[in-house]
Amino acid sequence: MITLWHYLAVAAALFGIGLVGFLTRRNMITMFLCAEMMFQGVAINFAAFGRYHGNLQGQAFVLFIIAVAACEAGIALALFLTLYRRGRSLDASDWQALREAGVPPVIDTEPLPTEVTVPDDLLAPAGVRPKTAPTEEPANV
Amino acid sequence: MNPSSLTPTQLAAGQIALAAVLAVDGFALLVPRPRGRRVAAGVASLLAAVAVFAAWVYKTFGDPMPDLIGTVLFYLFSGSALLFGTVLVTQANPGRGAIAFAFVILSTCGLFLLLAAPFLMAATVIIYAGAIIVTFLFVLMLSHAGGPSDENNRSREPLLGSLAGFAFTGLILFTLYVSDAGLKPVAAGEAPKPAQRLPAQVLTPDERAAVLSAVEKLDAVETQLPGDGPVADRGAVRDHFDAVRDQIGAVVGSDARSRDGSLPARLEKVPTQPGGKVAPLRGDQQSARVLKRAAEVRRLNETAHDAVSSHLLDGKPDRPTVKAELHKLRDEVLLLAGSGDLPARNVSNLGYLLYTDHLLAVELAGTLLLVATIGAIAIAQRKGAAA
Repeated sequence: MITLWHYLAVAAALFGIGLVGFLTRRNMITMFLCAEMMFQGVAINFAAFGRYHGNLQGQAFVLFIIAVAACEAGIALALFLTLYRRGRSLDASDWQALREAGVPPVIDTEPLPTEVTVPDDLLAPAGVRPKTAPTEEPANV
Repeated sequence: MNPSSLTPTQLAAGQIALAAVLAVDGFALLVPRPRGRRVAAGVASLLAAVAVFAAWVYKTFGDPMPDLIGTVLFYLFSGSALLFGTVLVTQANPGRGAIAFAFVILSTCGLFLLLAAPFLMAATVIIYAGAIIVTFLFVLMLSHAGGPSDENNRSREPLLGSLAGFAFTGLILFTLYVSDAGLKPVAAGEAPKPAQRLPAQVLTPDERAAVLSAVEKLDAVETQLPGDGPVADRGAVRDHFDAVRDQIGAVVGSDARSRDGSLPARLEKVPTQPGGKVAPLRGDQQSARVLKRAAEVRRLNETAHDAVSSHLLDGKPDRPTVKAELHKLRDEVLLLAGSGDLPARNVSNLGYLLYTDHLLAVELAGTLLLVATIGAIAIAQRKGAAA
């Protein structure tokens, strides 16, 4: 038998996973999606409590949550765009100059793994293969 | 330490803590970073966490589950929501993360449907379909194509972040366990306490099956009472309608005071002194409506049975009156069988609620959306660019 407890447990787990993602990930878009996942956890809580009490108040509240999430999405994506224009990156740690006084900066010591490009065996011998990949201009947004 | 000397609460705390620690380990190993990311070990650790958690769930809810389809759907949707949430957090590529997020949303919509919220399901699908497409647009527009990058392949404090998230989740689960009396194992010689069931079960499946079969028997009234004139086989007809009355009475009770039906016995409080007022056990509207309907069914049940006895079996048969009474009873019983199920007219009721009780909040939400739109335009506008 599925009880109220089951739904609260799933909601708590979804919120917890979203929290982990929000705290650990550095891509601002991924952080934003994790925050949305935390919203979903809270929405399940409200819907389950509404069901438990046999009325629609919980569902009405979820509608407001969705409205606030939409506002948050609009503002957040506008902010990402502005930050990207300034830093050419979606890395939230690029803005660590804004941290509180006395907090040590995060310095990435480990080098990023380099991608090994495998030569393409399937390319037809007649085809002319460019020596170097064309350098791509960063998107001018 | 001897494990059998631990109390059930301590054992539950230990199991939840073990599952949380294994989950922390799994997430700490799985989140993207340049070195030390071990996918196999992380997945193994997460699977171990799931196994410990599932063992605990099985131990706590070991009793056979009556509502099989609902249970399977619940575990399917919640499992896939958590699985794809994990993929979203641990996937380095933000585009794939957005796809995983779409599946999280779909699974959540399934849970909404199980929670009798079809409008929320539709609204969430529509709104998040747009949101996810916009997110894709941003990923395609802003991500550097190809190659590892700082934002995708590094994580901030994987261990501490996972610890914070799962310490939170573990504590919530443990609090739920401690606060819900129905979850605790029952000590010897102690009466089991009821679990906090969702009130979807105003009418249990058994009761619903019983009243529906009574409806079938009432539908067979034409074959039981053919033609005109006196009833040929009085004994068979009497047995048939006695069985119908008893079947309905077993659910709604045979009279208001004796409380012998399973529905009043479950939903109404026994009055402390004889002749006291009968109070409902649950305060929700659903159970109040079902009790009201059950009282009506109880009244009609007696009326219809009296009609069968007085107008059909004794004296001059009056079929139209009897049939009208039986049809009335049949319709009311059918309504009783359907009540307590998914709320019908969810959309209109939700709209009514929003525009009566929460009108100010609706206006505020609209204003908030307008301000957010203006704010987003103001933030994203390029300084000095043509308007």
